[in-house]
Amino acid sequence: MSSPTSIVDLNDASLLARLQDLVAASPVPEAAISEVLQVLQKARGYIDGDALRLAASLTGLSPVRVEELCTFYSLVLREPVGTHVLRICDSIACHMAGAQDILTQARQHSGVDLGEVSRSGKLTVIPHVCIGLCDRAPALMVDDQALGPVDTQTLTRLLAQLEADIWKPS
Amino acid sequence: MKHVFFLDGQEIPFIPGQNVLEAAIAAGKNQQIPYFCFHPALGSLGACRQCAVKMYAHDSKHPPRITMACLLPASDGLQLVTLEDDVHTEHREIIELLMTNHPLDCPVCDEGGQCHLQDMTVQTGHSVRHYSGPKRTYRNQDLGPLVYQEMNRCITCYRCVRFYQDAAQGEDFGVFGSRNRVSFGRLEDGPLESPFSGNLVEVCPTGVFTDKVFRHDYVRVWDLQQGPSVCPHCAVGCNTTPGARLGTLRRIRNRIRPEINGHFLCDRGRYAFPYVTANSRPLQPRLMGETTRQDAVLRQLASRLEEGRSGFLGSPREDLQSNLGLFALADCLHAPFAAVTSSWAEALAQQCLALPQAPSLQEVAAADRIVVIGDLDSIAPMAGFAVRQALRQGARLTVLASSRTELAQKGDYRPLRPSALRDQVAQLADDPCLQGGRFPVLLATAETLGPSGLYALRKTLEKLPANARAGAFVNRPNLFGAAYFAADGHTERLQQALRQRKINHLLCLGADPLGEDWGAGTWRTLAPGLDGLTLLDMVDSETARSAEALIPVAAFPERAGLFVNYEGRIQAFSPVYRREALVLHSAVQGSGFPEAAGGLKHPIGPPPPLFWLGRLAEMLHLHEAWQKRLDFYLHFLCPERPDPEGPGVLLPDTIRARFEIAAVPATRTVTPEQWELDIFRWYGGETLADTADELHSLAPARGLRVHPDVQAVAATLHGPCGDLQLPVIACAEMVQGVIAIDQEGFAELGLYPGDPVEVSWEQRQ
Ligand code: SF4
Ligand code: SF4
Ligand code: FES
Ligand code: FES
Repeated sequence: MSSPTSIVDLNDASLLARLQDLVAASPVPEAAISEVLQVLQKARGYIDGDALRLAASLTGLSPVRVEELCTFYSLVLREPVGTHVLRICDSIACHMAGAQDILTQARQHSGVDLGEVSRSGKLTVIPHVCIGLCDRAPALMVDDQALGPVDTQTLTRLLAQLEADIWKPS
Repeated sequence: MKHVFFLDGQEIPFIPGQNVLEAAIAAGKNQQIPYFCFHPALGSLGACRQCAVKMYAHDSKHPPRITMACLLPASDGLQLVTLEDDVHTEHREIIELLMTNHPLDCPVCDEGGQCHLQDMTVQTGHSVRHYSGPKRTYRNQDLGPLVYQEMNRCITCYRCVRFYQDAAQGEDFGVFGSRNRVSFGRLEDGPLESPFSGNLVEVCPTGVFTDKVFRHDYVRVWDLQQGPSVCPHCAVGCNTTPGARLGTLRRIRNRIRPEINGHFLCDRGRYAFPYVTANSRPLQPRLMGETTRQDAVLRQLASRLEEGRSGFLGSPREDLQSNLGLFALADCLHAPFAAVTSSWAEALAQQCLALPQAPSLQEVAAADRIVVIGDLDSIAPMAGFAVRQALRQGARLTVLASSRTELAQKGDYRPLRPSALRDQVAQLADDPCLQGGRFPVLLATAETLGPSGLYALRKTLEKLPANARAGAFVNRPNLFGAAYFAADGHTERLQQALRQRKINHLLCLGADPLGEDWGAGTWRTLAPGLDGLTLLDMVDSETARSAEALIPVAAFPERAGLFVNYEGRIQAFSPVYRREALVLHSAVQGSGFPEAAGGLKHPIGPPPPLFWLGRLAEMLHLHEAWQKRLDFYLHFLCPERPDPEGPGVLLPDTIRARFEIAAVPATRTVTPEQWELDIFRWYGGETLADTADELHSLAPARGLRVHPDVQAVAATLHGPCGDLQLPVIACAEMVQGVIAIDQEGFAELGLYPGDPVEVSWEQRQ
């Protein structure tokens, strides 16, 4: 889930229509919340306060309920991120396979704290719960693509490609 | 049949449907099973894993296993054990896990000494933390003036969010995050919006949520003087436990009363108590505005009464005995007496009393068809809480009101002008909103519905199935007690006597006839005929400021008394502490204590009204007759004195029946073109509560609330007793054609809810 190059306005008619369709197609309005959040995040890069309130009013949930979901699901972003998001699994299988080293290396490369946008603007590193790739631990996700196992060299190469904007999902 | 299971070989009785932990707690065996996430009113969750017990099967095929007591339904003959090593280890290790991130700050934590986590930690024997990594820490939120948050102390039992979202159905509090970064709070900093937010302090088993008002004048709880009391801030009469220290009241906690408030209180009940410590509270007698001595003010009053030209005015804000004491004195002197300040309020009280037995809040919570008339949360919040509990069980709620209140958003809302409420209520018997239920309940805010509306409510009830019930609520603790001796036309006779100059002095108890009480406009026009007014009260008011003599009285937690709640339930309260008052040396006979040194600390604060009335009776040589009458009235209304620790006693139906024959209240007609008045209140507002700073800081702005289609910045309302100018507050939730103002506004205008009103709008520039 990389950041969009242009941010769609929340009043954009086609965006609103799309969101309303999702709500209409759902058996109860509340049930559409995760899809609504996905679409909003695609369009705006992350869920800002206004997007959160829009999602709440479309689905009839209170803003607090929407924030509960946003903070529970680690794929939902509540802060702006870099061009690419690197989610490094730190759950148990990956932890045992050296996830901490991978995480430290990626964070050092980004030059900022976890979750922050690197100075180059290209990268945000986030620790993440198990992504279901335990058999290929340590695993990570670059935007929507899962990769593993990752070692220091592959990570160095990956980071270089991301910085040079030449990384392509396979 | 008696049902029992066995815990460590001891018989534990249970009611089918209970879980093992619930039954064990009810049997007083909570020493054996530590627990966190279970709460008697919130149920089981199985989140903390603390309540382990070992279950032995009846056969030899199944080995014994450890299971959670809060999730295990109690069943006959169940064999459970906690006294084995593996159960102990489980208890100790779970608490060690829960304590992983807990700060070592018991010595500076407000919860210390009443902390469930502290108790359980000691009980299970966990004392050494093996984890040596960094602790997870949070940034705390500012949740407003009532509740303090220290998130690092959380053990994720989820009680707070289950209370706030599920039980209180509040929308501005939630649980955020996942894994070991879960936190509980608001979307952003700001005051909690629920009228029940203070219960977080009691449901949280740790020091995350603590009482922010108590914090200003904190003492350790083992140093508190506590006792059984009853909330004086509305007609529900929730049971409370005030806590005091060194002669001042520090906090109010809930006292469990299943029939009424269960485990909870509203924020008015919990946070209005600083009325007793407010700087404005009168603590010493005042004569013509000057502080004076007890005997001086009594002598003055006695000579007034000896003239035989006094009238007596009681109050639904004062307790039953004090009102009866005043009534008895009036009786001895053959003087006119009224319990309420206007004929409208008198009719209202009579119609409230004429309703058949009202449902308890416990019964409201079990209703399946509910009609609420008016803004119930703003008058009697815990009644609104009971409605929410019924909603959770699938009850159908219909709200008739002139504004889309929070409760209206949870059910079917019928927007109605106040004058239309009465007609709608009259037709409810055939209304689909009450059809098909087992147990229909109608709950009205008495003032919005008015006397004729309450009459219509009673007539509707007669047409509904016999088990249908109705209750009417006011924000006074004792309307139902004060009104029992208010016969038809009492108030009118009192005012008539004043008009005809038969009396020239008024002795008032807990009333504010020149300020915000109903009919104050009329009293103000009559005031010039008064040579003097004497007031016995515990709060500063317009009347207190203009009284010739002001006699301070003990606040409710400082004395014993009786309140009659909306059900006609007579509840007793006990003195919890003695107020200490600073008395100026000049006011203490023979004291040479220098004023410059701060005066003399008088060990005893103002005495209760009955003390003053008794002394007066003595001075008038009427004591015996007065006492006899007082005892007789008290025995008549309340033959059996209720125990403050018990559920109270209900007034007999025979007394209630007296009021069914009261005059049928007149109905007012309002044309659709006319502006109509409704009353605006908020959950924290009430005469005493308005002097409590922290709670009052949350009060909505004063103004005239009206639908936004009116383009005006201000307006002047014209009433028979005067004009009132107020800023306009546009309120999208309101019905068009309705103007909502506070009670003070009504008093100034001399009008009542549902009355038409003349308005001059000041247009936007
Ligand atoms: S804040 Fe208190 S009530 Fe809420 S989960 Fe934490 S410990 Fe439990
Ligand atoms: S509902 Fe009424 S009696 Fe109960 S706590 Fe609130 S103000 Fe007090
Ligand atoms: S633990 Fe890392 S993918 Fe499952
Ligand atoms: S009390 Fe049983 S699991 Fe928490």
